[in-house]
Amino acid sequence: MFRNILNKGRRLAGLGSLVAALTVATPAMAQDKEPIVFGGSIPLSGVFAFAGIHIHAGLTDYTDWINSEGGINGHPVKYVMEDTAYEVDRSVAAFKKISGSESPATYYGDSTGFMKAIASELNSQGDTLMSGASFATALTDNEQYPYQFIPGPNYSQMFGIILEYIADQGKDGDMPTVAFVYSDTEFGKDPIENGKARAAELGIEVVEDIVTKPGSVDVSAEVLKLRRVRPDFVVFHGYVLSPINEFMVQMRQMGLDTQFMGTFWSSDKLIIDKMGADADGYMGVMPYNYYDSEESGPMLDALRAQAEKSDPEADYRPTGYMQAWFNAMVWTEVIKRTLDADKELTGENMAAALASIEDWDTGGIIGIPVTVRDMSFPVGRIWRVNAEKGRYEPVSDWIHLD
Amino acid sequence: MRIGDAKQSYEADEAIWTTSTQKLWFGLFLLILLVFPFMADSYLLYLGCLVGIAVISTTGLNILTGFTGLISLGQAGFMGVGAYTVAWLSVNTGLPFPITLVLAGLMAAAVGILVGLPSLRVKGLYLAIATLAAGVFLHFIFAEWESVTGGMGGLSLEPAHLFGLSFQSDFMMYFIIVPLAVLMVLAAANVFRTRIGRAFIAIRDRDISAEILGIDLLRYKLMSFALSSFYAGVAGGLFAYFYRVVTPESFPLSMSIFYLAAVIVGGMGNLLGGILGAAFMTLVPEALKLLTAALTPFYPNAPVFMSPMLEIIFGALIVGFLIFEPHGLAEMWHRIRRFFRLWPFKN
Repeated sequence: MFRNILNKGRRLAGLGSLVAALTVATPAMAQDKEPIVFGGSIPLSGVFAFAGIHIHAGLTDYTDWINSEGGINGHPVKYVMEDTAYEVDRSVAAFKKISGSESPATYYGDSTGFMKAIASELNSQGDTLMSGASFATALTDNEQYPYQFIPGPNYSQMFGIILEYIADQGKDGDMPTVAFVYSDTEFGKDPIENGKARAAELGIEVVEDIVTKPGSVDVSAEVLKLRRVRPDFVVFHGYVLSPINEFMVQMRQMGLDTQFMGTFWSSDKLIIDKMGADADGYMGVMPYNYYDSEESGPMLDALRAQAEKSDPEADYRPTGYMQAWFNAMVWTEVIKRTLDADKELTGENMAAALASIEDWDTGGIIGIPVTVRDMSFPVGRIWRVNAEKGRYEPVSDWIHLD
Repeated sequence: MRIGDAKQSYEADEAIWTTSTQKLWFGLFLLILLVFPFMADSYLLYLGCLVGIAVISTTGLNILTGFTGLISLGQAGFMGVGAYTVAWLSVNTGLPFPITLVLAGLMAAAVGILVGLPSLRVKGLYLAIATLAAGVFLHFIFAEWESVTGGMGGLSLEPAHLFGLSFQSDFMMYFIIVPLAVLMVLAAANVFRTRIGRAFIAIRDRDISAEILGIDLLRYKLMSFALSSFYAGVAGGLFAYFYRVVTPESFPLSMSIFYLAAVIVGGMGNLLGGILGAAFMTLVPEALKLLTAALTPFYPNAPVFMSPMLEIIFGALIVGFLIFEPHGLAEMWHRIRRFFRLWPFKN
């Protein structure tokens, strides 16, 4: 009993110290500039949680890092998020809750569905700039989504970069052939029409296009179709892993020397981890340097240092982390430009600041200076899996679409 | 203390409100609903609207599954039909929302009749699979009939409008959604005071006996499907005006399961159950987040490990209801009412 009382006393003393510390600290905090809020609808559970937890880590680490650098023009940054389970209604609820209590200047959206659903609210509120996990082509329609941007190339632009790379592989006027394999989702179908049009412009023949369920595993019938047309390249889109692995393994077993490529969310290290040696040679388009690439730069080094500091045991940070960090970097740049111009942090002013970004040095996150075009960063590079080293290595220069 | 109600006529027996206390409570409830949007912030208003839409759809499914005994996994598909009807009409004709909503309900009802056709031959799980197939088929149409539905990109629509008023904000939408939800639940309650409603219940309890009593099974089953789909269509139409964007992915299979779970958790064959179930399924995941919020000051990384836990807790709550309260939340409510009615005597 005595020990019980003692324990309770200790807890009370601890609580008292915390209250006292907060009381002392409050006047000091009150003297600081108003915090700038980064909001986020983050899928920490549900089907997109594999990326969501790294996105959350990226945004948390960036916030800690920027605050350690003095914040944005002296304003501390506060990151406020809610889990959405990758469901649009919960994502909208999170946005309403956060925007009602915190007035976020910028916000991370977890899906195309959410970003479309919230657009009318965002446009009428006019005080938040949004980007997020989506690279949907539709979101670069500035008339409909004036306060949303893509933190990289949109899916159509990713196809453009891939097709430019494929066109470069043509020798003596003999252009390679390509097949598109994509999921039966809005995500999967997004770039296909534009991709076909771009292929036609470059003189690349699209010999087959195949739609599958996302995550499907039995693709033997589709593989037979590809065997008949023997494409030089297969471009996957709208998947995370399956059925990319199935296609690759089965087509290689048939002796085809097709090369396989994928877009952003299909170009994570997850493919190497799951496929092992079978992943060798797989190529992905990536707008940022990989965490374990040989590239460097002041911001990329800061990212690595912060990641090491926040979780010393994790020796790798996936693409979701890099994407989240870059999102927050762009938000910071936009807010900084808006404040420097002595303007209020409204959606309109921040969108204008975003549009003004030209030849911006990202400190090694992206290997070349970047320019915003139609609320996106149309830049990327083709990376190839070196299964032996267990990582992606660049096989093209940085490609900036005009 | 009130220990019973003497009912001296059939009208009194069939009345929706049998006592003046009930009327008083209902009046108070309506007053709360009226005052709520003026007191609530945008987050609570949003949840209120979401619950309103869920109540309409759950009531519709309750008519079919709870009162007629026909399981359906096509509710999301019917909502989709309503949503696309509203979106198409709004984009192409600019009709005001009362007309588009009625047309959305009627279109969904027509589709519901088609889907209900096999219900004379198949029951139970077989019917569930048939309606599931209908949901998949409807999803295919939403995705592929590009000239009408906009394909995978979907359709965006203007806010609901009437007499020059634009129902753009959640505050304005609340005054469409919640009154409609109240009216539609009352309408459903009235259905079960008529021959049609009693026929539904007779079919649920024993369809062969119902047929012997002279109930035309196909007619009443199709009527139940039509009525249920009408509710789903109106809910889908409201969904379209609420989010102002409709895509095939807005109406996944999980949404049908959500409404079926709401009916079961609330209490099958009980209109109050539909309301409680819809509110429970919509609000509990949000309420559970308070746990994370309470832990975050002590463990900054609480969201990461608590989020999957909350999903598990929510699932466990549903399973718990099925095991310990198979008659749903409505039965709990009735028990509470009985307690107060008989207090201070033992219940």
